Amino acid sequence: MSNQPVNLTPQKLVPLEVAVNNRTYLLEIKPNETLLELLRNRLKLTGTKKGCDQGECGCCTVLIDDEPASSCLVLALSTHGRKITTVEALEENGQLHWLQEAFVKHGAIQCGFCTSGMLLVAKSLFERNNSPSRQEIMEAIAGNICRCTGYEKIIEAIWQATNPLGNNTGAQLPKGGELFD
Amino acid sequence: MTNYRHIGRHVPRVDGPEKATGKAIFTVDVELPNMVYGKILRSPYPHARIKSIDPSEALATPGVLYVLTGAEIPHIRYAFVDTPRYPADEQPLAVDKVRYIGDEVAAVVAETEQLAEEALEKIQVEYEILPAVFTFAETLKPDAPIIHETSYESGNTAWEKWGVKGKWQLEGNGQAVANSNISAETQVTLGDVESGLAQADLVRTDTFSCKATAHCAMEPHAAVASYDSNTGKLDLYLSTMGIFYKRFILAQVLEMPLNKVRVKHTYVGGAFGGKIDVFPYEFCAAYLSRKLCRPVKFELSREEVFTTTRQRHPIDVTITTGIKNDGTIVVQDIKVLADNGGYRGSGPIVSYLCHGFSFPVYKVDNYRYHAMATYTNNPIRGPQRGHGAPQIRFAIDSQLDMLARELGLDITEVMLKNARQKGDVLPNGDYLGSCGLQESILGAKEKIGWSKIRGRSLPQDPGRKKRGVGISLCAMFSGAMYYPFTSAAVIKIHDDGSATLFTGTQELGQGAYTTLAQIAAEVLNLEMDQVSVVGGDTEICPIDIGSYLSGGALVTGNAVKMAAEDARNQILFWAGQKLGVAPEKLTLADKIVTVLGTDQELSVSIVTNFAILQNNGLPIEGRGSYKGYPETDRYPSLAKGKGLFTGAYGFAAQAVEVEVDTLTGEVKLLKASTHHDCGYPLNENIVEGQVEGCASMGQGQALCEEVILEQGLMLNANFLDYKLPLAPDTPDCAHQPVNTMEPRGPFGAKEVGEGSVAGMLAAVANAVYDAVGVRITSLPITPNKVLAALQKQKKEQDSK
Repeated sequence: MSNQPVNLTPQKLVPLEVAVNNRTYLLEIKPNETLLELLRNRLKLTGTKKGCDQGECGCCTVLIDDEPASSCLVLALSTHGRKITTVEALEENGQLHWLQEAFVKHGAIQCGFCTSGMLLVAKSLFERNNSPSRQEIMEAIAGNICRCTGYEKIIEAIWQATNPLGNNTGAQLPKGGELFD
Repeated sequence: MTNYRHIGRHVPRVDGPEKATGKAIFTVDVELPNMVYGKILRSPYPHARIKSIDPSEALATPGVLYVLTGAEIPHIRYAFVDTPRYPADEQPLAVDKVRYIGDEVAAVVAETEQLAEEALEKIQVEYEILPAVFTFAETLKPDAPIIHETSYESGNTAWEKWGVKGKWQLEGNGQAVANSNISAETQVTLGDVESGLAQADLVRTDTFSCKATAHCAMEPHAAVASYDSNTGKLDLYLSTMGIFYKRFILAQVLEMPLNKVRVKHTYVGGAFGGKIDVFPYEFCAAYLSRKLCRPVKFELSREEVFTTTRQRHPIDVTITTGIKNDGTIVVQDIKVLADNGGYRGSGPIVSYLCHGFSFPVYKVDNYRYHAMATYTNNPIRGPQRGHGAPQIRFAIDSQLDMLARELGLDITEVMLKNARQKGDVLPNGDYLGSCGLQESILGAKEKIGWSKIRGRSLPQDPGRKKRGVGISLCAMFSGAMYYPFTSAAVIKIHDDGSATLFTGTQELGQGAYTTLAQIAAEVLNLEMDQVSVVGGDTEICPIDIGSYLSGGALVTGNAVKMAAEDARNQILFWAGQKLGVAPEKLTLADKIVTVLGTDQELSVSIVTNFAILQNNGLPIEGRGSYKGYPETDRYPSLAKGKGLFTGAYGFAAQAVEVEVDTLTGEVKLLKASTHHDCGYPLNENIVEGQVEGCASMGQGQALCEEVILEQGLMLNANFLDYKLPLAPDTPDCAHQPVNTMEPRGPFGAKEVGEGSVAGMLAAVANAVYDAVGVRITSLPITPNKVLAALQKQKKEQDSK
């Protein structure tokens, strides 16, 4: 084992100003640090998950200026001056966000590892389209892999929560594929 | 149906809010003070001898703390299967040879993940490349290079050390595999195959094959180990399905007493069978934490998860089946070849389980079964949801469809004629206390619109897209006899009458904590939020069999039910003492004991207080336990299929409708209907979630999932190239629990977590045949295979 000094920051640090969950942070970061690393390792926001680190699974999805993005593919540096939303921002004053309520109620959560990404995609979908169809929901979450649920209950939870006909009237979610009679 | 307060209802998950808010801590989230990071150097060759390893350059790098190689720990050996016949063949780090691409060669620990990663490249390894084998044909050749030359002495046969009898194992005496690449064999004969063949009106022999597939749990495999040199205690955070199994193996190989090794609770981000084995990174974390007296974390990359954890066995099945004109199956002769890769993994178990999941479905009087698992220089294979059931059910029910069609029968009639029924005793002695196969077949058939669609699509019909329906059946154990053979549960009744359940089971997403809390709340007649669950910790929780082989509902569920009943009986006993009333005259609800037929009542708070005063301070604590199979004290023979297998079988019938695009060869799953006999659903929502998840995994295995290997190298070890079902692929998924009320089960419940993967495969293959008249015998059913088969079909028609 070497007794030489350990250089923990071989790269030159660069300044970053970023708003995460409605609070602006002034940071010095490594130029090659990803947004995912910044969130999980620096800000300890571990609700954002690393499933593949290759931008393919959707577990690390966050909102950058309200648009979903795979935080493992985003250089933290590129978020300078921008607004980041993670799953930790959804709950307010100890009250679950209505999408979180719907996910719990409709069985959209099993192991929970894809959940934060799914919720943020759903939130962004709703902001663009306040009454998405089944097809639109399926397309919105197409980049988020869930191995536990087979997607049905996630689609149902998003539909029930966003569709004005959903919760209140007990209307049925249209099914996928070809319909059973 | 019985009117329960919680059981059978749509109760939201107890861990839902924690997971929805991102607060749930998974192993990958664990960070400890003074923690350092480990990485593993892996073999780039499928088969090579290690001539030398020189870690000096890595060790000289500032921040690198340790480089561990096999030379330091050559005596350490463990494996998922460890019996006299099949002694452990795995070592945490390669000592003499590497046997697949990704085999562990060295482990580095450094101050940061990046330093550890960079140090890997500074380790010089000199290899002598050896000839390698990848296929059954190559590995079974008489002059094939032998992958494991030495017969290992059986040192630490895990189960027998635990006092469980293994009489069957001794029959064959010694290894089945001396100096060959055969890693395991299972042979079973029932009745007389020759006379069965003589009785048959139609006999067919066909071969079916399934490729390796990946589990794809979203949380990558990870371990954090933290050793305290002052107390000699090792804390472990593992992404695992069985905390007691891992503790047992790790304590054994580290030569530490069990009270010094503690697996602590973290949530598990999915497992599906892929997190049972003890993995080298877990051993390395534990060993190196003890060595360095610092917490050590290993987290695998997605590529490492794909290639070096475990895959589903690629299996070839050749079946000869004889059937009478009326559809009675009179004989079945099954040959199974499974490739377990560079190490034995679960080879002997899958060899045995393909029998275990074949014979409970149809009654076949003359039956011969011969399975072999082989070593190759491919990645290691282990349990995956269903563990052999998808492969064997695909083969059996694909062939049954072919036979039925040849006889001009509807496959569902053949199924109904041969399917097992409640009350049947299986040839090994297992008793079917419940069996909903008949009802499931009829239900799934009805739901999919069988008679309206079947055979509607004809090859000569114009139109590019054609539709068809198919069906298949499956069976799955509800737990079995395997280490630690038992589940125990403890329920503490607090001073105010609320309760805490302690269970050694682990929450992997299957909803164990929720359904177990429901059982406790039902028996104690409490609101759900009056029962807390503490699980997943080897130190504070009683021992549990672990979340595999689908024993959660039956084995752990019974233990929890008994513990709750014990606590309730104690409450009623002390209330009776206090009131001077017999306990039978009392009822318990919402922390109040009431004398039946009166308005006389007593709070549980007063009862516990009274009990403590009367009983020398002893508070009310309920205890319960249940064994994998109550009627036996030994685990079944993997080689001969003797012994009792499981206390109850879950069954399912799965019917699907597909659309085949004859221009592109693409198969789209439109509808999937599963009728699953899980005895009785403890929680409707969770049962639905399990069935939908299983069906989706089955959809993937039928249509797109495949580990693509080229000379032992996985070419698609990422989610872009490994195709698994995505949200837009979701079919209309219907499911109906078939309530058969398993007499052994808590509230009638049995298996639901694994079975209904297996029926999807043949159902899809049979539906493709129904749509376009081509038979795909090798999964997955890719557009290429469909197009090639359609072209061949056209050529044959043209030449007529």
